[in-house]
Amino acid sequence: MKKIEAIIQPFKLDEVKEALAGIGVDGMTISEVRGHGRQKGHKEVYRGREYTVDLLPKLKIEVVVADSRYEELVKTLTNAARTGKIGDGKIFVYDVAEAIRIRNDDRGDAAL
Amino acid sequence: MPPCNDPIRALAERTALVDGMVEGFARERLWPSFPAGLTLMAVGGYGRRHLFPYSDVDLLLLVESSRLAQDAPDAISAFIRALWDSGLRLSHSVRTPEECAEIHDQNIELNVSLLDQRFLAGDRALYARFAERLPRFLHAQRDPLMRNLTTLSRERHRKYQNTYYHLEPNIKDTPGGLRDYQLVRWLAQIRSVEAPQIEPAFLFLARLRCFLHSRAGRDQNALTFDAQEQAAVYFAAPGAAQWMRDYFRHARDLYRAAVREMESSEAQSSSLLAQFKDWRTRLSNTDFSVARERVHLRAPHALEADPELALRLFQFVARHGIRPSAAAEQSVAAAVPQLAQWFSTPQPVWPALKEILSLPYAAEAVRGMQETGVLRALFPEMAQIECLVIRDFYHRYTVDEHTLVALQAVEGLRGTREPAVKRYTDLLSEMEEPALLLCALLFHDVGKGAANGAHAEASLRAAEPALERIGMPRAERDLVGFLIRQHLEMSAVMNSRDLQDPATARHMAARVETVERLKALTLMTYADISAVNPSAMTPWRAEVLWQLYLLAYNELTRELETSRIPSVPSETPQKRAFLAGLPTRYARTHTAEEIDAHLGLDGVFRQRGVALSLEKVAAAWRLTLVTADRPFLFASVAGTLSSFGMNILKAEAFSNSQGTVLDTFTFADPTRTLELNPTEMDRLRLTVERVVLGRLDVRQLLQNRPKPAPPSRNSEVRPTVSFNPEASDSATLIEIVAQDRPGLLYDLAAAISAEGCNIEVVLIDTEAHKAIDVFYVTAGGRKPETAQLEKLGGALQQACGG
Repeated sequence: MKKIEAIIQPFKLDEVKEALAGIGVDGMTISEVRGHGRQKGHKEVYRGREYTVDLLPKLKIEVVVADSRYEELVKTLTNAARTGKIGDGKIFVYDVAEAIRIRNDDRGDAAL
Repeated sequence: MPPCNDPIRALAERTALVDGMVEGFARERLWPSFPAGLTLMAVGGYGRRHLFPYSDVDLLLLVESSRLAQDAPDAISAFIRALWDSGLRLSHSVRTPEECAEIHDQNIELNVSLLDQRFLAGDRALYARFAERLPRFLHAQRDPLMRNLTTLSRERHRKYQNTYYHLEPNIKDTPGGLRDYQLVRWLAQIRSVEAPQIEPAFLFLARLRCFLHSRAGRDQNALTFDAQEQAAVYFAAPGAAQWMRDYFRHARDLYRAAVREMESSEAQSSSLLAQFKDWRTRLSNTDFSVARERVHLRAPHALEADPELALRLFQFVARHGIRPSAAAEQSVAAAVPQLAQWFSTPQPVWPALKEILSLPYAAEAVRGMQETGVLRALFPEMAQIECLVIRDFYHRYTVDEHTLVALQAVEGLRGTREPAVKRYTDLLSEMEEPALLLCALLFHDVGKGAANGAHAEASLRAAEPALERIGMPRAERDLVGFLIRQHLEMSAVMNSRDLQDPATARHMAARVETVERLKALTLMTYADISAVNPSAMTPWRAEVLWQLYLLAYNELTRELETSRIPSVPSETPQKRAFLAGLPTRYARTHTAEEIDAHLGLDGVFRQRGVALSLEKVAAAWRLTLVTADRPFLFASVAGTLSSFGMNILKAEAFSNSQGTVLDTFTFADPTRTLELNPTEMDRLRLTVERVVLGRLDVRQLLQNRPKPAPPSRNSEVRPTVSFNPEASDSATLIEIVAQDRPGLLYDLAAAISAEGCNIEVVLIDTEAHKAIDVFYVTAGGRKPETAQLEKLGGALQQACGG
């Protein structure tokens, strides 16, 4: 099993969710996060005062899938979240040792 | 499951069954070791024979002395074990009569459980001793008992945000749940008064709790969405949403009774506090008296002849934050049918409502109007959303409650110090008419009662005739209508558009058209999101919304210079020539009548070289001037107004392609000179004309006026002066924020002109002693040079006192 952690642009959430639903991935965890990569922050001027936006609002999506599905998922996710500009985000992939469904003790792929 | 139509009987039957078990086990295990000196008592819910299917069984073992209990611990253990093993969830305690008559601040439940005690079995003489003591104890400890009970209940209410409108309520603990029913009865019992009539609500909840327990097979009191579906079938209601409205009505009755009972107890228990609170009695007037932190109607029967008394009552609430007394609420509620009749024909009550919505405790007043039924009498449109449930995972409240919480979110902005929130507070203080924002919030979701999907349009359709009926002027209805129609727009842009993309800023700016509307819509969005659930407005969302506001604000400011009205071939030649080249903002912020009036001035200007009009608008005056542009013009007029002691609130200076300028100054007349001396109006007009035509030097006028004290360095607004040469192709943007003072605008404009700069566009706004000034300037037809701007920056800073 693999855990996919994707940092995406907030306005891409609906597209990403739809694309993932399209390949049968419905379950995910979404959190509001702030940070920056190479995009760094930028400066806004409001009423003469410079106002530094150094941590940009992003969304973090976490999904765990069976090994057999992860390439497809990453491809779908990248396509949906891409605008081609700086700030599109990143995807990190982790190996998952075990998954357990608390309700009935299902394990492994069956618990996903 | 067969419907339980008589919950009281079902509960009593279960109680009798448990009584039998307890007595049986006691006979076997207890009485052989305790022929005397031990009594079994039922307390709490068991004591009052309200034993729900899976409720705890509260048992008190009353012992002669603690030594006696220690002498035969095995017998007591065996008895308790037997009850446990028979499947009862037992909650027991062992006490002496003396221990029962102590006040337990840390264990209020023990004291309270005794209010529902009854004898089960054992030593009758011992019970008699206890029963004799109990009334004396209750009387002597009345105040601490009531205080502990209300403190505990208020904590519980707070845990649930003090509202009974929860989409998945816990029917025992949520405000308006069964605990509030007990609270009302206990407080009445302690105070030796009759408890109010709340049995119908109790019967409804008791039946529901029996159902929930049987359904779950345990002590389950959460009314989840699933449980609501099944309960609606069980109660033979047409649907879950409809049935939940019944639930909320009963919960509302219980919650209000509980709050009233707690208030009466507090008033009774703390005479010192009451005296302290009574200082507010000085707020009393001919309509109302204030006593014990409540507003009372002096003549409740006057409501029949004077329906506006009800609105005046809520104005009083909105002004002072003092709630109506229970009696006043009842009188108003009783008058609702007449009020509804009176409001059903068009009545000019908007000024009264506007005042309520402008005052510091507006949200509290509107809540009072809703609870008494006045709001619905005024706006029958509100009936559509009463107790209306939105069944999803995000919404915590029913639609009517969401509306009230949104009003509270605006009210909550005042007085916050949180930096992420403070900037929204600043926006609110910059709004000219916050009442219009609150009015839009009141109606923004009314359409949810009728429509599926696009409710914003449905809300607008409901609001328009309602606002017309109460006499809201056209211009105000336009803003309210705009806010209702667009209330989802900023949320939608936040979620679906790239904020870094310049097209997003242009889109947002085109939607709102003016900075004034942008501010109102930003606050509307802030309040709407905040009222979805207590944690919906995360710092993350507040940040994203603020960034969107910034983008649109900067775009609108940039547009002032860059976006000009093109030549419109369909217009008359004079109108075409006048409009061409004015900023787009001009067309957006003026009605057709105003544009016609300006055209008239343009005609006069062509003959006489200058044209002006002076008129009273609401609490201020407005001077409109059309003339040919020339250096120092704007500064001269601002200076002339200052020399008359006028305080400039807003100003705009626009020029068209032909170099004709249209300046408008809105100003306050603090000493009412113009109003009291009509000749002064003529003198002001004439003086401005002479200054504009160069026949009089404004510096001469200002010479004899005392120089105003420079603003204190401790003033709330730190002055900022900034230049943005990139804002437009042909001019440089100067933005100034400063503490307002008389003559400030003259000093700023004069400094700009003295530096050889020409003022192309001006937009001045003053709210809450803060002047927000936007100038676009050129020098010799081009953007000023850097060195020139540096010098100008110093002069402007000095004028601001920075």
